Amino acid sequence: MERAVSEVVRETARDARRDAPAPVLRLEGVGFAYPGAPAPALDGVTLEMAAGEGVALLGPNGAGKTTLTRLAMALLHPARGTVTVAGRATRGRAPEDLADVAGYLFQQPEAQLFERTVRAEVAFGPRRLGWDEARVAARVDAVLAALDLAPSADVHPYDLPVPRRRLVALAAALAAEPRLLLLDEPTAGLDRVGRGLVERAVRAVRASGVAVLAVTHDPGFAVEALERGVLLAHGRIVRDAPLDAVLGSDPAALPLPPAAEVARRLGLASASLRLADVARELAERCRAADARDKFPSS
Amino acid sequence: MSAAPSLAPALAPALALEGATFRYPGAERDALDRVTLALEPGRVHWLFGPLGAGCSTLLLAAAGLAPRLTGGTLTGRLATLGADPQAAEGRRALAGRVALVTPSPALQLSGIGATVFEEVAFAPANLGWPIGRIRTAVGEALARFEVAHLVERAPAQLSGGEQQRVVLAAMAALAPALWLLDEPAGALDAAGRRRVAEVLREEAARGAAVVIASEDADLLVDVADRLVVLAEGRVVADGAPRALLAGDAIWTEGPGSTSVAALARGAGLAAPHPLTVAEGVARWSAP
Repeated sequence: MERAVSEVVRETARDARRDAPAPVLRLEGVGFAYPGAPAPALDGVTLEMAAGEGVALLGPNGAGKTTLTRLAMALLHPARGTVTVAGRATRGRAPEDLADVAGYLFQQPEAQLFERTVRAEVAFGPRRLGWDEARVAARVDAVLAALDLAPSADVHPYDLPVPRRRLVALAAALAAEPRLLLLDEPTAGLDRVGRGLVERAVRAVRASGVAVLAVTHDPGFAVEALERGVLLAHGRIVRDAPLDAVLGSDPAALPLPPAAEVARRLGLASASLRLADVARELAERCRAADARDKFPSS
Repeated sequence: MSAAPSLAPALAPALALEGATFRYPGAERDALDRVTLALEPGRVHWLFGPLGAGCSTLLLAAAGLAPRLTGGTLTGRLATLGADPQAAEGRRALAGRVALVTPSPALQLSGIGATVFEEVAFAPANLGWPIGRIRTAVGEALARFEVAHLVERAPAQLSGGEQQRVVLAAMAALAPALWLLDEPAGALDAAGRRRVAEVLREEAARGAAVVIASEDADLLVDVADRLVVLAEGRVVADGAPRALLAGDAIWTEGPGSTSVAALARGAGLAAPHPLTVAEGVARWSAP
């Protein structure tokens, strides 16, 4: 009996290896330099992302974060090494050749908005992939509702405030049901409500198996929506670890979100950096302190 | 005996709006709705409101771009540094004195400058400054935003954060009397955000009027002298930032507050809330 169990365990492990899905994104030894630039933008970058993973791509301005996302969407091609998205090497491929597997949000949403209405913009990707109109319409409605854009469906994207254009571009990126979502500063300029919408959308697509790689300087967004931190400096990956180990390691450059910083300094036992979890711990501490004040032990 | 008249005349407002109302073409409601404000030299004014509140529109109107470029109608009175930014004469008077920083640095770059130096020198050159003055101003401005090393690079090839620093430097080179900034740190790293905060204080100390529209309460809580809260085009609160941010009304009727105030509310604690990490730690540390 015991032997049987251990055999099952071994077989299961073997099956898991054999059936382990290929990583959604794989960079191996990637180097890239812009023409005329004094130093390479990326140098020897190796990174793998599995389905459903959420990676925050961190680092100072000019570290190579945006370049990495451009390589992952086949907008740029590596000078050295390979980039593979959902099993397809990007070499010889253009972004449209990855349109069914990769969705992206540019740092400047204007770079990707060209339709006359929000609805047409969001429907563009699915239509290009040949979906039937009923499926397109249902998907577009669902995505617009998730990002609170339904009231703006018939508006020209350029008639919206800049931050809301970012939500439109995110909706367009989500619409074609990508397996890999590449986001460049998805919360920049958004108000509290907008940030919440983006955080919820990212958590929801990750739960459905989408891998999300987000360039961000917003540690609050990172801890609410992602869990792994990849730190770039001068084109190289210098740290790749759970976010709670990466954020706060160098408070001047990579601060924790303020609520998590408070928790750390207070010694709260919260296992999570997310605001709701820290708030629960804080509420318990304050209740305990109140109780001590009312019923002094000595 | 009558009181001696003050030797210092009251400072003329850098930006004055009286019943200013603006509507974009085809819009169903006013983007600015009877806004009356007087914003002063030497102070940092923070416009804060949810998306669509009118903060960005106010900056565009003050810069003379709305309605001139956006279309739409502006009624009421609006004076920028005492001039009418809609009139050709006013725009001439304001040239080089008003710095507008939009939230889209890639779109704001002139596209003409082959190098960062040329980009930052573009406006001073157009104002006819002598080359020696231009060189000094460009060098100082790039150093202030920590991008002096990029001076020979092509602006289009820079990262988004680097472009945002270049745009800020291009405006700083003008030593403007009025700053109009819309989410100027959205692409910046932690060090860049702190630098922007420091420069805004330096510019106010120099006597410039600073007006910044931003959702970044954690950055601005210790930068702004005055907080103007907008909602649906109207001024709904106007006063000392800390008092407004520590209360609950700014959550129920406005855009919210800092992350530490959000934490306090999330824990169900009573206002006034601490606003910064240091204040939160001080408040909640066990005695």
